[in-house]
Amino acid sequence: MSVVMTRGEKRRHAARRAPGGTLWALVSHTVRMLSRGVLIWGAAIGLYSAALVASFTTIEGSADELNQLMEAYPKGLMEAFGITDLADPANYMQSQVFGFVPLALAFFTIMVLAGAIAGAEERGTIDVLLGNPLPRWQLVVGNFAAAAISLLAICALVGVLTWGTAVLVDVELSLRQVADAVLNMWPICLLFGALALLCSALFHRRGLAIAIPAFLLFGMYLLDTIGRASDDLEDLRPFSVFYYYGSAIEHGIDWAHFGGITLVALALVLLAVLVFRRRDIYT
Amino acid sequence: MSLAIDTERLTKTYGRKTRGIEEVDLAVEEGEVFGFLGPNGAGKTTTVRTLLGFLRPTGGRGEVFGLDIRKDSVEIRGRVGNLPGEFALEDRMTGEGLLRYFARLRGVKDLGYAHELSERLGAELHRPMRRLSRGNKQKIGLVQAMFHRPPLLMLDEPTGGLDPLVQEEFLDIIDEVRDEGRTVFFSSHNLAEVERVCDRVGIIRGGRLAAVETTDTLVDKSFRHVVLTFAQDVDPKPFESLEGVRELKSDGKKVSFTLYDDLDEMVKLAARHRLVHMEYERPSLEEVFLTYYERENGGER
Repeated sequence: MSVVMTRGEKRRHAARRAPGGTLWALVSHTVRMLSRGVLIWGAAIGLYSAALVASFTTIEGSADELNQLMEAYPKGLMEAFGITDLADPANYMQSQVFGFVPLALAFFTIMVLAGAIAGAEERGTIDVLLGNPLPRWQLVVGNFAAAAISLLAICALVGVLTWGTAVLVDVELSLRQVADAVLNMWPICLLFGALALLCSALFHRRGLAIAIPAFLLFGMYLLDTIGRASDDLEDLRPFSVFYYYGSAIEHGIDWAHFGGITLVALALVLLAVLVFRRRDIYT
Repeated sequence: MSLAIDTERLTKTYGRKTRGIEEVDLAVEEGEVFGFLGPNGAGKTTTVRTLLGFLRPTGGRGEVFGLDIRKDSVEIRGRVGNLPGEFALEDRMTGEGLLRYFARLRGVKDLGYAHELSERLGAELHRPMRRLSRGNKQKIGLVQAMFHRPPLLMLDEPTGGLDPLVQEEFLDIIDEVRDEGRTVFFSSHNLAEVERVCDRVGIIRGGRLAAVETTDTLVDKSFRHVVLTFAQDVDPKPFESLEGVRELKSDGKKVSFTLYDDLDEMVKLAARHRLVHMEYERPSLEEVFLTYYERENGGER
């Protein structure tokens, strides 16, 4: 059994036994494991969005009256919720769906990525998985990639249900508008997921890895929403990621903001890799 | 013969209060079955997890097949089949799904050996983990550790939860692994199991490696619990005065004690009476530890 090999040869020998497909194997497995969650989240948000599209037909005829009614509301409140013209289906969907759905959808990535490291430690599954020749960085990057793909699938499902309903009930929403709206949710949800992943790498505790990004998510949403209505908080809005979110269904995707948020998410993943490489794994 | 595991002053501490392992010097040769023994909290799991790179050593050095445990953790894990002591498997997965996943991670194309092992151990591969008993999960844990025929098996309490027949089958598999020239490093509380398969035994206590012995030496150092039942009442004093008899209890016809010496004199003495029944029991490993360390420290029991 004993064969004399140099250290370099031993490493190459080991590398042959564990080819570079480990990352792909991890990503595809994790995506498969998340598929049920994707269907549940996609169906829940998609059906809600579809219901709102369908409800537009009932208010379409009385939109002018509704707008007059809304004018009686404080201007700040209208600005806070991005309501400009309820007769416009795009503005209606932005104010009723896409303006705050990321607040819920971000929990998909937060829950998934908080569980990737700290959750696996708490469940005791991480030792068996890392008993395989899987580099730690791949565990971090692979889980993030799987969450990103799954999130994209949820967005697609929401888009299909929204646009399909719009076509069925004859509401003027183009495929491009709906695609922009759902795709625009992707980086912002991914950002909070990446933060959960970093917390998961830092703290060993899933609860903390959920609580911190959740707190920031709500804090930033409130800062942006109140900042729109309050002159005092207006200057603080750039500190909220929702400031850069905009209304893609009305104005299209702002690719600079889209790319910027995605880059921040990637930076957080890089930090998570660096943190997780150095720390002990507990079970 | 080259070394499968080689550590020198390997140390892992978890801050000031919690002990890990201290200056462990361990040399496990390729092709041997090495038992790693110690009471709970002695440092067995910490040693294994440090060797596999799950924990970062705070001192000393360690190598597995000549690969550095700090730098070459991934390559080491490629050559090791690991069964953690306190392990869990994803609830929704089946054993078959888990093996296919791990085969992809390891670049293993053929699951023939995995299925053979599963059949021999009676592992249920098609039910979700959440529906499996502890013993059945343990079987899948064993199969995932062994199915890729690693040169080194690291098994933490491998027979926990297994019924006796499956334990015996598992020990047969370990014999086969040894015959193939592969190395096994396993921790256990079961002295009979250790005696059955291990060539050598390392004993860890308080985070320090207290001794490395051949298995025969360890067993020779142990004692036996003896219970003698006679047809009539007997005087216990002659038994009490025998060399190596401790903790004697007498209840008329029944005499029980712990025997630290060889049994020849005791049997000859018992044969002077009409003996109805004799129990001669192996102690638990925990008891052997206590005795072993008390002797090492010059204490008397």
